[in-house]
Amino acid sequence: MTIFSRRHLLQVLGLSGLGILSGGCGTSLFESNLGNAFEPLNQAVGSLMLDPHRLVPEFPLSAIQPDALIVNTYDVTPTIDPAAYRLTVNGLVDHPLRLSLADLKSLPFQSMVIRHVCVEGWAAIVQWGGVPLAHLIALAGPHPQARYAYFYSADGYYESWDLASACHPQTLMAYQKNQAPLTVDNGAPLRLASPIKLGYKQSKWVTRVTLTDHLAVTQGYWEDQGYEWFGGL
Amino acid sequence: MSTRTPPPIRQAWPAMVFHGLNILALVLMAASGLQIYNANPVFGGRAGWDIPVVFTLGGWLAGGRHWHFAVMWLYALNLLFYGLYIAWTRRWRIRFVSNKDFKALKTSRNPRLRVFAWHRLAYTGIIPFLLLGLLTGLGMYRPAQLAWIVDLFGNDWQTLRVVHLSTIPVVLAFSLVHSFLGFSAGGVRMIRSMFLP
Repeated sequence: MTIFSRRHLLQVLGLSGLGILSGGCGTSLFESNLGNAFEPLNQAVGSLMLDPHRLVPEFPLSAIQPDALIVNTYDVTPTIDPAAYRLTVNGLVDHPLRLSLADLKSLPFQSMVIRHVCVEGWAAIVQWGGVPLAHLIALAGPHPQARYAYFYSADGYYESWDLASACHPQTLMAYQKNQAPLTVDNGAPLRLASPIKLGYKQSKWVTRVTLTDHLAVTQGYWEDQGYEWFGGL
Repeated sequence: MSTRTPPPIRQAWPAMVFHGLNILALVLMAASGLQIYNANPVFGGRAGWDIPVVFTLGGWLAGGRHWHFAVMWLYALNLLFYGLYIAWTRRWRIRFVSNKDFKALKTSRNPRLRVFAWHRLAYTGIIPFLLLGLLTGLGMYRPAQLAWIVDLFGNDWQTLRVVHLSTIPVVLAFSLVHSFLGFSAGGVRMIRSMFLP
């Protein structure tokens, strides 16, 4: 690279121009066109890289970083009565479920210490405990044509996942964080937790899981604003 | 051959294409990377210093990511083709640093030979850093599926972020040294030859 060349000077000028324009409509539009152009490729590579059965390495309990997990809530923090709470599992399943917290806690418990990675760039090592989502989906008896899982939350947040990621052995419906009951800020009574998806895929305050055979126009709160759908790690 | 009109310096066209695309990819990767940086500054987190908007590309975090994960293909494939090219043509044997250059740096009194030796050392030395930027980037892009990359950096996220970001100051410093040495070796003609046929 050289700082003397005309080409480089033009590139630098062009870059500055892009930077100045980046708050305007033109560049935002271009950014989203670029995203639309490359997202299918990146998504295909992301799906290929995901081995639905391989476990992501976990950490010892001593590695937990209790202060590193930042609470990112898009709107309000909902108030949920734990006694009245029910988790619905429905859609393309043989036996729709409606489970209380006591029901969920009577199901197999799994604990993991994993790295929680946020799209913003930070990460935190967290312990999560709860029921593997694969267990709930198996209880409900998924139809063979089910390919996606939608997650609906009490605060209006919504998400959709590929079924392979939803059924990964380290994808949990968690009610425990860092060996203590999950706090409301972190999604109590029940939230998604997984080492294979970005933080915005891991819905808090989940009240309903719906299996579908297609992705709807609405795919997730952040996805519908332009963030990538797969969000795999 | 007249000394007033020296013969034009001819560069191999694959090297020129690699060089131009690499500059373009690095500028776009740096600017979109700094956009991502601003979502959570590497130093100080949310309380840390933001990069001025003029150096960023994408407009917002998702836009920065769209640019970064599109241009990463250009950056990586360009490096790959260049690697295949220098392996296939065995260009690495004559164009990259060798024992001859180290000997020249130790013993030679010929300033031209010394400039050539320093220059070969500089642009050989940048290659590992270009690959390191790619490696640390892949580690942060897919830390679960490519956990071995994160492990190489002590399984420490902050280390990975700092090493990835350091690509920018390293490449900037290299650009200055590379430009200076290229100019010392062949003046404006040398620099022109790398960009114009």
